[in-house]
Amino acid sequence: MQGIVIPISMVPGNSAIHRMNPLPKLLWTFGILALSFSTRNIAVLGIAFAIGLLLVFYSRITSAYLRVALILFPISLTLITLQSIAPAFPRPWTTIAAFGPFNIYQEGIYSGISLLLRIMAMTTWAMVTIMTSHPSDIFTSLKKIGMPYVLNFILVMTLQLIPILQNEFGTVLNAQKSRAMKGSGFGAILPSMVPVFVGAIERVQQLSISLESRAFGSTGQKSSFRQVRMAFSDYFVMALGFVTTGLATYWVIIDKSLDWSKSMTFSPIFAVSLVLSATIGFLVFVIFAIRAALSA
Amino acid sequence: MEPIIKVENLWHTYPTGNITALREVSLNINRGELIGVIGQNGSGKTTLVKHFIGLLKPTRGKVFIDGEDTEPLKVQQLAAKVGYVYQNPNHQLFARTVQEELEFGPNNLGVPKEEVQERVEQAIKFFGLEELRYLHPYRIGFPLRKLVGMATIYTMKPDIFILDEPTTGQDNITTQKVYRLIKKLRDEGATVLCVAHDMILLSEVVDRMLVLRDSEVIMDASPREVFSNNEIMASTHLAPPQITSLSLNLRKNKNKLDDVVLSVDEMLALSKDSNQKEKI
Repeated sequence: MQGIVIPISMVPGNSAIHRMNPLPKLLWTFGILALSFSTRNIAVLGIAFAIGLLLVFYSRITSAYLRVALILFPISLTLITLQSIAPAFPRPWTTIAAFGPFNIYQEGIYSGISLLLRIMAMTTWAMVTIMTSHPSDIFTSLKKIGMPYVLNFILVMTLQLIPILQNEFGTVLNAQKSRAMKGSGFGAILPSMVPVFVGAIERVQQLSISLESRAFGSTGQKSSFRQVRMAFSDYFVMALGFVTTGLATYWVIIDKSLDWSKSMTFSPIFAVSLVLSATIGFLVFVIFAIRAALSA
Repeated sequence: MEPIIKVENLWHTYPTGNITALREVSLNINRGELIGVIGQNGSGKTTLVKHFIGLLKPTRGKVFIDGEDTEPLKVQQLAAKVGYVYQNPNHQLFARTVQEELEFGPNNLGVPKEEVQERVEQAIKFFGLEELRYLHPYRIGFPLRKLVGMATIYTMKPDIFILDEPTTGQDNITTQKVYRLIKKLRDEGATVLCVAHDMILLSEVVDRMLVLRDSEVIMDASPREVFSNNEIMASTHLAPPQITSLSLNLRKNKNKLDDVVLSVDEMLALSKDSNQKEKI
């Protein structure tokens, strides 16, 4: 089957990260999430992103990760363009260059870069966790630490539905192309989206009936066919994650010198080049996306 | 006469999982032939026919439709010649009414408005969709929705029809409509490929069968020859229609019946034949 399918699901492998229990991975991911939201410091966010990338290479999920990043990164570049002319910072703003009718602000450039790095750091760590863990293992592990059964189930079903719906979209797109649909604009997406959404609703309805008929929601202790054990190394990685991300978050909150938004200055040439590159990068992505859709 | 479908040493390997779904397939299909494509699940039937409309491209080998290599052609270009009816109609239907659904394909092909309306009227009449034409496709039952799926391709008037499991999940009335559709397409000179497990349907309507096993075409013959080949039937986990099994047993065990029978009508005809009457 040919079609545009982005794998946001497990990529089979045998790396140490694949073999690790999902709990330490989840803890690290939530730790990085907390750290990323607690700071705007470019260096801290850049290091978190770089370590995430190293884990991607180490766990050999690079191609699957890149397929997601190649969509996410150009879209995130718009943050630099938009933030540079309208920073999410309290006024006053320091003007460093003019970009057509707009002014480019020092705080805006800083904010754009830090937001971009924040998104890339968080999603990279999340991708490592999702792409190296079987959904059922995540389900079982979360259940062990007391996550309510229903909430847990909703979470895992959502993870499993994403690749199913992506496959479904590919099939439906092929079905419409078989009826000579010319793929352009919103008019081309509509014939594909309706069957996918209707299919998703039908699937959820069937699933709910199927679950009820198999005693989902019954009271009492549940057993699990899939057993996930915590090894000593898992406890160690988990403790390390808790301490490292906890201390780092505490540090970035109390150390006011990490606020480089005023002290880190950008030259007008750098600022204009960055904004231009980000804008062009996004536009090139849009052009490629449209061309890919037309030629698909 | 040049075949309408020509397959030369076709191989297909799916990139995900590196699974070879077709190996060394070569065949010719002539204009107007009715072909049944059979084989166990996962034998490569759907993979084969998807090459004919360009949904899949050969990993190795060539596929020609009406003399044209499919490699550089888009699905939308091939759709003018090849109509593919999906097993699940829900993958195809999206419009607000059955009527709009039927207009979608020919409109995409640039058919003049008057002719589109004419084709829609023909399809509605043929498939018996008069009462459904202004209903939303998702508000009608699955068997009728499947007929709508077939009608949407019928209005495109392709030279080649590919029907993927057309009778699965159908009641007797709609199954009869599928039989009539295939016969009508034959009368109109279309080439029909029917991927199916419904041996009764195939035995009654197709002239020739392609049998696939483990990614290869292992037999290309008439239904009579295929059904009477026990080894092929057993190795592909398929069973002939009951009436054919009966005739084969009569022939084999008691050495009585001369012919392999494909339908009840044929058996009835034989029962009237004075030479065969006593043998039955």
